[in-house]
Amino acid sequence: MTVHNIRVGESKRGDASDGALAQTVGGRLSRVDGPAKITGAAKYAVEQQLEGLAYAVLVESTIASGKVRAIDTTAVQAAPGVLQVLTPETIISLKTASDWFGTPPPDKPYCPLARDITFSGQHVAAVVAETFEQAVAAAALVKVSYDETPSIVDLSDGKAGDGIPIDAMTKEWGDAQAAFASAPVRICAAYNTPREYQAPMEPHGLIARWEGDQLTVWEPSQWLDGMARTYAEWFGVPFENVRLVSPYIGGGFGSKALALGHGAVAACAAKMLGRPVRLVMTRPQTFTGYGGRAATRQTVTIGADTQGKIQSIVHRGINETSIDGMWVEPLGSVTSIMYATPNFSSKQNVVRVNSVVPGAMRAPGENPSAFGIESAIDELAYEVGIDPLEIRLRNYAEQDPEAKKAWSTRQLREAFAVGAERFGWARRTPEPRSMRDGNQLIGWGVAAGTYPVRRAYGEAIVRILADGSVEVESSSIDMGQGTYTILAQTAAETVGVHADDVVVKLGDSHFPRAGVAGGSRLAGVMTGAVYKAAISALDQLVGLAISDPRSPFHALQANTLVVANGRIASPRGDGPDVSIAELLKSVGRDHIEATGDTMPANSTAEDRYKNYTTIAMALPHTEGDYSRHSWCAHFIEVRVDEDFGTVRVSRVVSALDSGRLYNPKLAESQWKGGIIMGIGQALLEEGIVDRRHGRIVNNNLADYLVPTNADIPDIEVISVGIPDLHSSVLGGKGVGELAIVGVAPAIANAVFHATGKRIRDLPITLEKLI
Amino acid sequence: MTSLPITLTINGHRHELEVEPRVTLLDALRDRLGLTGTKKGCDHGQCGACTVHVDGERVLACLTLAAQAEGRTVTTIEGLAREGELHPVQAAFLEQDAFQCGYCTTGQIMSAVACIREGHAGSDEEIREYMAGNLCRCGAYPHIVAAVRQAALEVQS
Repeated sequence: MTVHNIRVGESKRGDASDGALAQTVGGRLSRVDGPAKITGAAKYAVEQQLEGLAYAVLVESTIASGKVRAIDTTAVQAAPGVLQVLTPETIISLKTASDWFGTPPPDKPYCPLARDITFSGQHVAAVVAETFEQAVAAAALVKVSYDETPSIVDLSDGKAGDGIPIDAMTKEWGDAQAAFASAPVRICAAYNTPREYQAPMEPHGLIARWEGDQLTVWEPSQWLDGMARTYAEWFGVPFENVRLVSPYIGGGFGSKALALGHGAVAACAAKMLGRPVRLVMTRPQTFTGYGGRAATRQTVTIGADTQGKIQSIVHRGINETSIDGMWVEPLGSVTSIMYATPNFSSKQNVVRVNSVVPGAMRAPGENPSAFGIESAIDELAYEVGIDPLEIRLRNYAEQDPEAKKAWSTRQLREAFAVGAERFGWARRTPEPRSMRDGNQLIGWGVAAGTYPVRRAYGEAIVRILADGSVEVESSSIDMGQGTYTILAQTAAETVGVHADDVVVKLGDSHFPRAGVAGGSRLAGVMTGAVYKAAISALDQLVGLAISDPRSPFHALQANTLVVANGRIASPRGDGPDVSIAELLKSVGRDHIEATGDTMPANSTAEDRYKNYTTIAMALPHTEGDYSRHSWCAHFIEVRVDEDFGTVRVSRVVSALDSGRLYNPKLAESQWKGGIIMGIGQALLEEGIVDRRHGRIVNNNLADYLVPTNADIPDIEVISVGIPDLHSSVLGGKGVGELAIVGVAPAIANAVFHATGKRIRDLPITLEKLI
Repeated sequence: MTSLPITLTINGHRHELEVEPRVTLLDALRDRLGLTGTKKGCDHGQCGACTVHVDGERVLACLTLAAQAEGRTVTTIEGLAREGELHPVQAAFLEQDAFQCGYCTTGQIMSAVACIREGHAGSDEEIREYMAGNLCRCGAYPHIVAAVRQAALEVQS
């Protein structure tokens, strides 16, 4: 087993911020998994070195719609090193698995290699060989012939139509149409976002190994228990027979939460061959092997009075989905809560196109939703002649306008105030094209963002070991959010030891269970579970110290004892003062162990299974009396070259409310990362579809442009959050998804201020400005 | 395809290998020698995750054939720390939190060591430009710049 288990104290740290104060919850402790990552010692999933490993390479469809007529593998079979060629005819049959809600699947077989083609890049065959190079060469010899039929390449295709209404997305109160019609000020505009891709630096892939009917899968995963369930259902084996191992994850951003077709292919190959098989997607395959963010279209109409006070919002949206799958990108999610309005209507359709089914990408729903409403409110500000910051305050929602409930916490007003002060917003001249530096037009834009607090349950084991160190185990994961670190801090503070003396083990589905690392929920869930387990372990420790006849504290007859800095003492300071190790030795124990979970007390085993392997039991963010969300305000400066239309982001100040931060150093990194991905979304990122074959033509990291170091200025982030105990056990709200929300509209608004041109179609590229 | 015997000198150790001519230095490191600290992000020279040093200069291991590295000195991330002491660039990356998922990190660090050695760490702007070949999707760029700036001062002093 390879999981991260480096003790912090064993490596040189050299950081003054890692002192005693950094060790507790809320401290700026450096990443405890950092030493492994900076030395190359951290072994990611597919880097396990296994005896007898064979290598699989996928072959994908080159048409977007039609049927596979034949697959000629004659040349492949004769190629050196080839062990196996998988086609729909030769691959073993699987069962259809349930979806992530746990909906019982249709009773029909599942084949991860397609005969019926619904998008370009669909897996149609795979080749397994002794070496990676042999598999790559042999896969190029697979000859696939097709009967091609016309395809719908994207939303702008004439055959795409209006799509399917998704009634569950409809939100309405008051009479939005009538109020809009009678409003003295009216704006109406359409906003588009293209296909975007998560593009994590580590490509998707796995190693699958069967031992009898036991399957081990080393695979980067945002959700070990959910993926284990899918593998178990595909192969018809008990859940316990599948072990997912994922010690480190090279970025996910939503794309590594589910078991996917390539995983099924690798697991089938391993079973058929009787050898462990490694399959890693090529970078181009990552653009069609799973879905990125769906392309979206929105219209936002706002009716307001002449003072800019909103009277009505009418919102209509569509997103693309695939021919045979369903993805809904909730486009009204920010529209319905950001501003107070007495009348509101939002509806959404989905449109089927010949694409892989889109998926979750950092703040699905909130991200494009905010591009619509946060651009539209800026347009309204200019229409009525009010400062874009002032109009946001004038329409501030004092409670959740949709749920009609109080916010648990909403430090958005504070975010606007602090961000504006640090940015120097008061020095902004409102007229477009009124600020310049030589031939560069300067624009200042503002926009807000939000993300709901998604809550679920988790469990963890906390052990106090004979040497006084503490061990934490959980099947949750760390893909860079800092789970290893904040759980070490939580256990350290709760038990009363240094974080240096805590080892956190994650990323193995045989550990105590956890739900998905998605929707910014994991930190809140797992700090709660570790806190409960650690309290329980501490109670046992203190109980032993007080009551065991062999304990040095036995004669003291104390009611309680204090554990701090790894030592146990009486709260009054009288009596013995011994280390945890000495106490355990005196009472003859080699460890203390406690399991903690945050599930309701009467939960059944079935409840637990459902909680950890589906998302069906997640608590709504408006459950009970409160509406729970994170909030942020972005202030962004752009410089636009007047002659060339090139846009550079030159300054960013963002103030964010994620409640209490478990580790500000790591939270700030995640926020900045979200802002940087937002800069990419605003200025660079767009999946370009070839209109003849429905292919993503820029399916690589040279042509699908993600931000580089040279694209990014220094970024200032400021925490304005306060502990929110309605949102989590320790008071935090979501961090990871929040900061991208609102960045693209802040940039679009800044570009308007710089140039006088309103770009409603992302990304904002130079040809749209000249 | 016929395999050929080659000898690679990596982090001061000699390794005898039998590889096909088409095997890249990256796959030789990762799949044959177990040196998985060098990462594969794109396999096409687009992302920089596989950056190693050959004769002291940064190269992309995915665009270098293993056979091309014969007779030359290869340094990977595993060879950067000396006697358990982190290289100043490694220490600065930890202190500045210049990474999140960690997958691009080893390539960033190898690039940063070379960037400083090349004399291209004179200003934040220069660091951004000369580190632009190493993509980081987590968005650690501002912290990478801070780490390279810090390490450059330490290395020079």
